[in-house]
Amino acid sequence: MCDQTFLAITFGPCDSCSENRPLMNLYIKTEPINYCSLCMEIMACQGLASGETLKSLKAESETLRKKLEEERKKLHDVELEKVAEKAEALGELNMKTRRTLKGHGNKVLCMDWCKDKRRIVSSSQDGKVIVWDAFTTNKEHAVTMPTTWVMACAYAPSGCAIACGGLDNKCSVYPLSLDKDENLAAKKKSVAMHTNYLSGCTFTNSDMQILTSSGDGTSALWDVESGQLLQSFHGHSADVLTLDLAPSETGNTFVSGGSDKKANVWDLRSGQNVQSFDTHDSDINCVKYYPSGDAFASASDDSTCRLFDLRADREVSIYSKDSIMFGAASVDFSLSGRLLFAGYNDYTINVWDVLKGTRVAILFGHENRVSSLRVSPDGTAFCSGSWDNTLRIWA
Amino acid sequence: MSNNMAKITDIRKTVEQLKLEVNIERMMVSKAAADLMAFCEAHAKEDPLVIPVSSSENPFREKKFFCAIL
Repeated sequence: MCDQTFLAITFGPCDSCSENRPLMNLYIKTEPINYCSLCMEIMACQGLASGETLKSLKAESETLRKKLEEERKKLHDVELEKVAEKAEALGELNMKTRRTLKGHGNKVLCMDWCKDKRRIVSSSQDGKVIVWDAFTTNKEHAVTMPTTWVMACAYAPSGCAIACGGLDNKCSVYPLSLDKDENLAAKKKSVAMHTNYLSGCTFTNSDMQILTSSGDGTSALWDVESGQLLQSFHGHSADVLTLDLAPSETGNTFVSGGSDKKANVWDLRSGQNVQSFDTHDSDINCVKYYPSGDAFASASDDSTCRLFDLRADREVSIYSKDSIMFGAASVDFSLSGRLLFAGYNDYTINVWDVLKGTRVAILFGHENRVSSLRVSPDGTAFCSGSWDNTLRIWA
Repeated sequence: MSNNMAKITDIRKTVEQLKLEVNIERMMVSKAAADLMAFCEAHAKEDPLVIPVSSSENPFREKKFFCAIL
């Protein structure tokens, strides 16, 4: 979507001052425009309102940033850990792998639960998307995408369709039918079109709309039936790696995290970036809303997970340890929001006490990076997908 | 020249965005933290991972397996 401008030097009458001068020919969307360099300078200055210069705008943005810092600091009267001292200590966690889902031929990149609390869709590097029954570990459906690195997959709220995408820059929706012999690939519907890889996708409250995030730095809301772009969200200065929709009771917002180390909160209807958090030191790989919708957690390559409160507009907790040196790839909250499960690139899953900020357990089992992690809709278990080609269900 | 104009539009957008962000409503961390704690406490009973439910109720912890012998 960028204007293509080509520069060539010629000599002739300027379109603006009509004098014969060396011209800077510009082609804006294939229309030639000939201005001399003097007129170009004058026009650039007129682009600024009276009294503004590039310098003054930069200075204004600096003072605004400082003001933002101050406003946020004013509210920092106590640490979350201090308030949480009153909370009851957690009992010992006794979780282990209850099911192992084997069948992918290559790294598992993404997974999602169905609302029926038993089906799971997972996608992998080799282009295969598989729907599993988590209780029996049977595979119910399998689709081969025409692309590799399927980095995003999602289950529709009705359980009747799945969406997935990756290096093909698109998000495709496959309706699932009960017929075992159906050819899923034939009914595929391309919904989203980005100019770079698809990093995340999720259905909104219905099967009719999909929210996607992409390596092209934008997120977008699409209508599934028509494939039309309903709203796009610009503001990240690098790849958007993850997104999460606010829980339905709290309203129409979503949070996205990117390679620019920022997490942005957006209003779905207006496309406006309402809040921004940039305390991470490296790419944010995953963001998840707290179950009440008032906060969200993020996992980053800087090996920390952080909790940001939306109403206090600041980071309120960091989950990190000196012994954890590898990036965190994925996080999710337990049903009550007390536990935070995080999958790391050192093959482990750490379980954190959200309120007290301490680590409650480490879970071993995967033989390669844990790339994605989701708690089931009824909170009885969580599933982790890994680069060791398997998914594990822990309870 | 066009480079200059691009920089100006960029920085103007940043200034507008920062103005919006400075003016949002914020609450004290003590209140926000108390709300988070209250939510955790209120829902802790329903959370099968915080307060473990008996094996018979958690379908993944059940001892019996669903196997179809073909």
